[in-house]
Amino acid sequence: MLKRIAPFIAGSALIASALAMPARAEDKPILLGINTALQLQVGRDTIDGVRMAVEEINAKGGVIGRKLEVVTADEGESPKEGVAAVNKLTGDNNVNVLIGGYDSGVTLAELPHISRAQTIFLGTGSASPSIQQKVKDDYANYKYLFRVNPINSAKQAASLLDFIKGKLKGELGYSKISILGENAKWVQDMVPFLKKNATEAGLEVPLAEFFDPQTADFSPIFAKVKDSGSQYLLIILSHAASDVFVKQWYDAKVPVAIGGIDVKSQDADFFKRVGGKALSEVTTNFVLRKPITEKSIPWWDAFVQKYNRAPVYTATGAYDAVYIYAEAVARAKTTDADAVIKELEKTDFLSARGRVKFDALHEVQDGPGNVNVIYVQWQNDGERAVVWPKEVATGKMIDPPWMMKN
Amino acid sequence: MLDILIYGAVISAVYALLAVGFTLIFGVARILNLAHGAFYALGAYCVYTLTANLHVPLVIAAIIAVLLVALFGIAMERVLVRPLRKLPPLAVLMMTLAVGLMVEQILLLIFGSEARNVPSLVESSFDFGGVLLSGQRLLAFFCSVAILGGLWLFMQHTRLGAAILAVSQDPEGARYMGIPSDRIFSIVMGLSAAIAAAAGVLVAPFQSVIPGMGLLPLVKAFAIVIVGGLGSIPGSIVGALLLGYSETIVAFKASIEWSQIVSVAAVLIVLIVRPAGFFGKRAAF
Amino acid sequence: MLAWGSLSKTDVIGAIIVVALLATAPFVGSRYIIGIMTVALCYAIWATSWDFMSGLTGRENFGHALFIGTGAYTAGFLNVSFGLSPWWGFPAAAIVAVLFSLLIGFPTLRLRGPYFALAMLSAAVVMQKLSIIFSETTGGQDGLNGLSPMLRSQVSAYYFTLGALVVTVTILKLIALSPWGTILRAIRGDEATCQAAGINVNFYKICALMISAAFAGFGGALYANYQLQVGPDLFDVALSINIIIMVYVGGMGSIYGPVGGALLLIGLTEGLRSFSEYRLWVYTLVLILILFFIPSGVIAPAWVRLRDWIRRSGATFARRANA
Repeated sequence: MLKRIAPFIAGSALIASALAMPARAEDKPILLGINTALQLQVGRDTIDGVRMAVEEINAKGGVIGRKLEVVTADEGESPKEGVAAVNKLTGDNNVNVLIGGYDSGVTLAELPHISRAQTIFLGTGSASPSIQQKVKDDYANYKYLFRVNPINSAKQAASLLDFIKGKLKGELGYSKISILGENAKWVQDMVPFLKKNATEAGLEVPLAEFFDPQTADFSPIFAKVKDSGSQYLLIILSHAASDVFVKQWYDAKVPVAIGGIDVKSQDADFFKRVGGKALSEVTTNFVLRKPITEKSIPWWDAFVQKYNRAPVYTATGAYDAVYIYAEAVARAKTTDADAVIKELEKTDFLSARGRVKFDALHEVQDGPGNVNVIYVQWQNDGERAVVWPKEVATGKMIDPPWMMKN
Repeated sequence: MLDILIYGAVISAVYALLAVGFTLIFGVARILNLAHGAFYALGAYCVYTLTANLHVPLVIAAIIAVLLVALFGIAMERVLVRPLRKLPPLAVLMMTLAVGLMVEQILLLIFGSEARNVPSLVESSFDFGGVLLSGQRLLAFFCSVAILGGLWLFMQHTRLGAAILAVSQDPEGARYMGIPSDRIFSIVMGLSAAIAAAAGVLVAPFQSVIPGMGLLPLVKAFAIVIVGGLGSIPGSIVGALLLGYSETIVAFKASIEWSQIVSVAAVLIVLIVRPAGFFGKRAAF
Repeated sequence: MLAWGSLSKTDVIGAIIVVALLATAPFVGSRYIIGIMTVALCYAIWATSWDFMSGLTGRENFGHALFIGTGAYTAGFLNVSFGLSPWWGFPAAAIVAVLFSLLIGFPTLRLRGPYFALAMLSAAVVMQKLSIIFSETTGGQDGLNGLSPMLRSQVSAYYFTLGALVVTVTILKLIALSPWGTILRAIRGDEATCQAAGINVNFYKICALMISAAFAGFGGALYANYQLQVGPDLFDVALSINIIIMVYVGGMGSIYGPVGGALLLIGLTEGLRSFSEYRLWVYTLVLILILFFIPSGVIAPAWVRLRDWIRRSGATFARRANA
């Protein structure tokens, strides 16, 4: 009998103690709303990155005497779901801050709704420069937007160019590269820039093509690239079927090495997911278990210990976002959006990726010491090595196994 | 030129495999089966589960997967479709659609939305006069041709095949001849599911195994069958060749971006110019 | 053309009660709920406009998204690229959608059953692919962003959408009850006989498709005004299919049933949020059960029964009062 009613007693005791707590506004928890694609690894890691930071901060007593609490909403990968998610968090849960975003198209669709809700949004996944451009165009309405992660795609393009000139041409001596990108806005901005500048730098670009993200058969493109005599295929994909792409590349033993921006390939388990067929593919990334800053390895190990898997790039961004917000609130001594924005603009936070500072567009800055793009190659047995920039490189770049010169 | 010929042949063979089951069940039972893509996806996921989780050898896993999906097709016909056959055709159409959505959701729940890897049966790749072809594609091509040939032999030279043809030509007459049309419907649904699953199993190693993977093949099958004529098996093979080659030619000569639009545009043009398709019966529209 | 006299008093009273209930929503729900309901009302307009063409003439249109998407993109272009006030988007969206219905309607209307369904589906997919290929103008995958809202307050936008729905349903229902509607239903029954009777069948079918497209395009512009963004997903097969499901659950050919179907199914998806990842699975399960056990739909047949019951009990009451 007692066993059966015990939970009820415990329950009512809890409720009673909750009621007895003074319900002053200052003691109410600070609500963090996470809008992301829950069914994807980038989404799960966004949430886990946030949770990890929240637990650490709460263990130290929270911020300005208040605990942090997390609510999530699924933005799927569609603008419709994304807008609904943002409206749910701001209109229903009344969160103090939004953290998340993954798909640039979805984030762009959410912007007017975020602005209308006058809620701070710390972006941790989308790369389109048009997002932060709003801050410049209409500061009063869009000052709420900050991008903690990643480096925007325009800056990524500059970094890719550096990779082409420095690594592909400079170190490996390639003279002919092809470019292949998926048909998304941010890629279309990037490809003409790369083609023009690579040509000016003395490289030949025989082929620069786009494809529909639903493409299921890449054989024609591989045949064209091979026939063009290219030595390297630069790829830019985020939503396309990267796994199909590398599998078909590997299976056909296409005699051209591949690398560039491949967002799915940034996942720690990507190599396993494609049965090892990503071997020798190079992709951009932002964090790895390498000494990028003094925090990188401890942070990485703490994450792995806690969740039993290696993090992807959104995890570190989300983790940093919580700390950056918490520090800004602590300095402002309030959660009032306008006051917190003033403090956020002064952010200088050392993270596992580098130092986080915002520019006039509330955009995370790159450059020496700051957050930077690193080029990571899948090597034997799914090991990853940083191959560029030279200062942080941890390994030598390898060729696809069928192209190895003995 | 040679590359267009080879890649076009491989893709056409897989397309034909997808379309033939779809057209078969329409020709025989007048069911537009929107769960056809789900059979294809189930085939691929069955092989994935059997190889990755239960460590069954790949060849055996493929056979088990095809059989399981065939059973699923039969069960769907028996339990969900047959009671609705007396109603307007839209009722059955909606039911197959709902089953397709349901399968996708179940796969999403169990496996999540990330792509899964099905290992290739043949790991080596081949070089045909400068055209690179992975072994798995070559295998998919030969298996497709073999299955289509087997289907033709089955339809032409067995009593069951003759009964299926009879029902498709004249269901009423077939019933007077003592052919149990209900049982034929079940068998054909099973057969159609098995062929779709086989297609799924064959292409899974070089395609994305994701819960929504059935939609694109469904649209392609639909397009091929319209071009060839609904209900006609030779028509769907011709349709597959037409679409397979035109997509490949566009991909090589223009860009792969435009190749995605070829199949739908072809459907639209064929419907406008010759609504019954190249081999369909005039009476079908 | 419009047949005011043929509306039954019970139907009108029923409709007024439903609209009054919908009008109370902003007093009860949060800002989020209002948003969801605005979307639900847009779906209701799409579903009822689908029903007008396909439910009455029996030609299932599997590409209704074609009209929705063109309407929404029209509104988007006018606002984002040309800087016109959002209000211009509504008439323009309806006109462009009608143009598209003429373009696709003439060659395809002689088709029936799966052939018509597929022709419409392909047309919508072709538009979707084109919107991705010509991304310089359409924004590609991301679509057009940053539309300015027509009304600052979400509550006013909700009432505006509700008003639009009421107007849509009233007009479509009145046409359906008029001799025009009778002809459309006759075409569904036996096209050859209609033709033999000297009716220009193609004229009526084209008109039905144009009217259907006009309201769908208008609804697309309304949706764009809520979402403040338009993208290629508005041409998606999934959207067309969702609308058909709503009509089917609501009751085909009744015009008002699909409104109920849209509200019911959107309500269901929202209500199932607590099932988190099982949500869409439960949704499809409910759908299968409905298709299996109530294949004639839920809303319209239920209302017909309720109405008969009201009338019968009303008659009994009157008889008793007289006695």
